[in-house]
Amino acid sequence: METLQLLLDGFAGALSWQNLLWVLIGCLLGTAVGVLPGLGSSMAVALLLPVTFSLEPTAAFIMFAGVYFGGLFGDSTMGILMNTPGQASAIASTFEGHKMALNGRAAQALATAAIGAFIGGFVASIVVVFLAPVLADFSTRFGPAEFFALAVFAFAATSSVVTDSAVRGLAALFIGLGIAVIGIDGVSGAPRFTMDSPNLFDGISLVTVTVAVLALGEVIYVACLERHVTGGKIIRPKGRPWLSRAEMREAAPAWARGTAIGLPFGIIPAGGSEIPTFLAYGVEKRLDARRSRPKFGTGAIRGLAAPEAAGNSTTGMAMGALLALGLPISATAAIMLAAFRQYGLQPGPLLFERAPELVWALLASFFIAMIMLLILNLPFAMLWAKLLLIPRPYLYAGITVFCAFGIYATSGSVFDLLMLLGIGIVGFLMRALDFPIAPLIIGMVLGPLAETSLRDATMSAGGDFSVLVQGPIVLTLYALLVLVLGFAIRGRVRARREARLAAGLAAGASVRAEARSEV
Amino acid sequence: MSYSNNPTAMSAVIGEEIVLAGGADRRTELLKQLIMPALLLAFAGYLAIGMLTMRVPEGTAFPGPKFFPALIASGMTLFAILLAVQAVRAHRASAALARAEALRGLDEGEAGVVADQTAPGSATATGDPAHAEPARRVGVDWRSLAWVIGSFLAFALVLPTLGWIIAAGLLFWGVARGFGAGKPLTSLIVGFTLSSFVYIAFDMVLGMSLPSGILGWGF
Repeated sequence: METLQLLLDGFAGALSWQNLLWVLIGCLLGTAVGVLPGLGSSMAVALLLPVTFSLEPTAAFIMFAGVYFGGLFGDSTMGILMNTPGQASAIASTFEGHKMALNGRAAQALATAAIGAFIGGFVASIVVVFLAPVLADFSTRFGPAEFFALAVFAFAATSSVVTDSAVRGLAALFIGLGIAVIGIDGVSGAPRFTMDSPNLFDGISLVTVTVAVLALGEVIYVACLERHVTGGKIIRPKGRPWLSRAEMREAAPAWARGTAIGLPFGIIPAGGSEIPTFLAYGVEKRLDARRSRPKFGTGAIRGLAAPEAAGNSTTGMAMGALLALGLPISATAAIMLAAFRQYGLQPGPLLFERAPELVWALLASFFIAMIMLLILNLPFAMLWAKLLLIPRPYLYAGITVFCAFGIYATSGSVFDLLMLLGIGIVGFLMRALDFPIAPLIIGMVLGPLAETSLRDATMSAGGDFSVLVQGPIVLTLYALLVLVLGFAIRGRVRARREARLAAGLAAGASVRAEARSEV
Repeated sequence: MSYSNNPTAMSAVIGEEIVLAGGADRRTELLKQLIMPALLLAFAGYLAIGMLTMRVPEGTAFPGPKFFPALIASGMTLFAILLAVQAVRAHRASAALARAEALRGLDEGEAGVVADQTAPGSATATGDPAHAEPARRVGVDWRSLAWVIGSFLAFALVLPTLGWIIAAGLLFWGVARGFGAGKPLTSLIVGFTLSSFVYIAFDMVLGMSLPSGILGWGF
């Protein structure tokens, strides 16, 4: 009951007209970047980060939440209408969603996606409201060893589970960790890797790195591809953007299953909503195959409803994990964690005690954002598609100007602009060579936490490293990590075996063909 | 999952997969794969030099300021070596494959076509076979790349003297040009409009500081 009271207080805080305005701006921006090809919510949050420093923290975070959820809503719109998912989490919805659109049911597909995203996000927000304080309370028992285990968990999961090559993921992670150690050492006060340049005493700002890697690197990468882009065709939806009762009944179980699949992934640091959306899609496909008349492949409404709900429920839970544990599960969450730090706030158990009005206003704003996004997306999806009329050169040139503005406005130094360009080029190289970007950002954000907790734990034990693997929580975390890695390895081995089998079959076929041609 | 490691990138966005590839030449492919190991080694070297020259304050307890960087530098070196070994192995395998195909091509005459199709495939052996259409491989557009990077570098250097409005307008123009925008005058006008708008909104209204440069009339 206490939780409900706090949530009501949060609503009182979030329902002021300024905060409503920030939610609206966030939702509009989020949907816009979701709709525009090539932009994801992580890039939007990275670009907004420097600009929002003149706002008060509550307003900034409410806006970020709008951007975060809005990005997911917008992604599915374009995925359905053009077969162009804006980020990984929208890929699974595109399979059946685009087929629905091709069959002349684009409006219903958009409605299914919007309602699915709404249900997933809403349920997750409710769970977060009741679970986050419990989690936060639980994590007050965390000491340095526990935090180190948590960081190791996040490092291992993001760099090896999501990516297809663990070495590549780890290489990206270590670049992030390496950037994070530059600057004055917080524990001993020794300047590290600064070349005695005052520009580096404070280290390389996380804002610079995220904007460089996510925005500028992306711009350079797209520039190299631009002349090869052929451009897809957009389908104009006609008819009612609402679902009939039969369609509702058809989609409802899929929404529920998708939400349930998405929820636990919000607190597992495995790279965000990509895995749960594919899982939800797979479950629906398997269930569909058992029916008397399978609908998958022809635009099945369930194949769209489940991944949409799963994606948003993961995102909602991820915000809970970020607030309660200070644990970012995806690149976007990592940037929001950085934003908290910029305001001098540390997400985690203490946040609920020190800044309750901010936490509860933010949680309340999730619900407001969900409702706003449903209104913005259900009837107006076609209006959003008009954003595609912006010529791509202008769009990316505008993004570049905004990167430059954000960095110069916060630092006021040419050195930071050059650093932005340098790291942007590294980001471009990583993209071009197919190295994952997310581990770099997670490493950069959690690196300092890992280092200080490692040193605190061992120093207080007099240089004894065995304290890092003592205690029930730590051991549980490592056991969980082993389990997650085990599943990942099993999946990869199976995929490799199938690949070899397929290759073997193909080789066999070609040998047979050759034999026949010789005859 | 056969999709790119960075799904917000263009590859997942256009509806068809486009992958940057240096060219069909196996030597360029090898060099390309060695860029990242070189970068990692350079960074590890920088950290190593930093650790050697670091002034650690007296009386720092054991896991001092050098401890974590040492872990990172050794990790980087290890991954650089692993990546380099992978790259060289893939290079050898594709070379051996090409040799075998060439030998068979001498025997049968028409197998050379097959060799052309299999050689790029073997470089991306980690790809998912279930993926229906293979990614379209295109070369790096060096002109666009130079325009974007060059414009940004020029922007960073002239910003303090020329001021935000002019420098950012030119940056916009340069990047748009790199993306293949057709009408130079139009994009210049759009660029200056945008930069002036940003200046008015953030410098004059919100009070963030941007250099006014040679256009500074005491704003």
